Amino acid sequence: MFSEIRIIAPLLAAGCIATAATAQQPGTAAATVVAVPPLSTPEDKQTSAGGTLSIAWQASQLIAQDLRTTSETMPLPPAQKDYYSYPEVTAPTFSKWRSAGSKVLVTGFVQARSDGRVTFGCYVYDVDKGREVLRKGFVVAPEEWQRAAHKCSGLAYTAVTGAPGAFDSRIVYVAESGAGTFRTARVAIMDADGTNHRYLTTGDTMVLTPRLSPKALRVAYVRYEGGRPSVRIMDVNSGNARPIVPSDAVTFAPRFSPDGTKILFSMMLGPNSDVYVVGANGGAPQRLTTSPGVETDASYSPDGSKIVFESDRSGSQQLYIMSADGTNVRRLSFGGAAYASPEWSPDGEWIAFTKRVPGGRQVGIIKPDGTGERMLTRGPGDEGPAWAASSREVVFQRSDAIGNSSIFRVSLDGSEPRNVALPQGGSDPDWSGVMD
Amino acid sequence: MRKATLATAAAMFMASSASAQLPFLSKRTGPPPQQQQQGTLQGVEALKADFLAKTGADTIFFGLDSAQLGAPARTTLAAQAAWLRQHPEVVVRIEGHGDTGDTRDHALAMGARRAEEVRSYLVLLGVPAAQLSATTWGKERPGSPRAVTVLVR
Repeated sequence: MFSEIRIIAPLLAAGCIATAATAQQPGTAAATVVAVPPLSTPEDKQTSAGGTLSIAWQASQLIAQDLRTTSETMPLPPAQKDYYSYPEVTAPTFSKWRSAGSKVLVTGFVQARSDGRVTFGCYVYDVDKGREVLRKGFVVAPEEWQRAAHKCSGLAYTAVTGAPGAFDSRIVYVAESGAGTFRTARVAIMDADGTNHRYLTTGDTMVLTPRLSPKALRVAYVRYEGGRPSVRIMDVNSGNARPIVPSDAVTFAPRFSPDGTKILFSMMLGPNSDVYVVGANGGAPQRLTTSPGVETDASYSPDGSKIVFESDRSGSQQLYIMSADGTNVRRLSFGGAAYASPEWSPDGEWIAFTKRVPGGRQVGIIKPDGTGERMLTRGPGDEGPAWAASSREVVFQRSDAIGNSSIFRVSLDGSEPRNVALPQGGSDPDWSGVMD
Repeated sequence: MRKATLATAAAMFMASSASAQLPFLSKRTGPPPQQQQQGTLQGVEALKADFLAKTGADTIFFGLDSAQLGAPARTTLAAQAAWLRQHPEVVVRIEGHGDTGDTRDHALAMGARRAEEVRSYLVLLGVPAAQLSATTWGKERPGSPRAVTVLVR
């Protein structure tokens, strides 16, 4: 149960956000300082997840922790001695935050409701201008306070960057453990901050390339059935899974459409791999490419009108863009190397890819019009970028010389890739959109 | 499933001594080999040994990013085809492998192409299609780009 509500005053129109935000472009070195004083509560009441004052304090810390994970925001974390009164939530003393060096201020409250749930209010202010830029309220079960705090972090991130915050989202990947013959591969899922980690498959059969639906409710992945790889779709909550096409053909490389209703995938027909699309709830697959050779790794543009994919029809792997019905194919990459595994960013501005250069694989980005190509990593064992909901960061797989893999994230601003902490090795990461 | 696992393990073991195939250092493998089933194993073992002795190799190697059969590959496959025609009761699975330096999904497709090239060439040489199946391991079992003919039963 997670519902968004309007609090105290109506939400500002989206148009107001951009003007009020301290707009920051990727590549800017300095992070915006965001003050996160302790969240307040009108009255400290017990809930099933502890007192509201205690939840408010933990939520403040989580918001600061979230904002520390991005290169665009730098939190001024809460201090327990900074008692923050309930009226101050909606009437902050801006001079205090100005002198503390912060540009953005996040305040909020946690209030117990008579139905056992809590109201979580979140406000974001432009400190220099001394005015509110965003606010949102959520009614949640007390145990779901982390998700509400992540939403609040996202609101602050949006105020700074104009982009959605990816804090309330999930990452899925292939967990690799054991060694040699006893090495196992399991589909694992976790919240974007690494919490709530769990395994979705048991490891009795090899699995590859899990991909999340936009709201992280379903995962499509490749599983070896009777010795052959085939794509299955699983409901994340129930664990129920089924094949996406009732056939013993080799199927692979699934990816959801931005609205979650369709799945692009690849299927072998003889020596040919082509791109197909099928409804996420079933139906007959439709073939989208017909060229001889290997066509795979297809990804929709955010409006669903176009598809980027890789093909070796020219003699080496290159990126191509076509209309969603398979017509109007044009080549995108001309960089004198092999390009693979493209994924279109949620804001439509970029396509992330893997480049095969002499000596290894690197992750980069290119504009859909073919300009602006830029490498984000130097390899040598990097591949499979997947976008964060913010479109300002990708997660990817990095393999070392002896084949051990782990997961990294890298921002478009040119900073160094950072390791994503996992309980064991990992490969094939995918990052969902912001959850409902 | 159990038979397939046994056959795979046996094939990998024997291939490492009979041909240039790399030892079984697989990074991601299927389930571990299960307990042997008496009787069935004897048959498969014997057939497997005979197959290797008569055909010379169970593994066909390819160039990087290529699924083309070279002359040595065709010679080996001609011997495999002759043996398979004499053993119509035997079913084999051709397992294609991609390049370790490739990306995940292109490697899967290249493994499938290589297996399919071998499968269709064996059919061309008169092996009934019902005796053959093809699959791909992509780059999950590191080694040279190759296709391995694995006796299933």
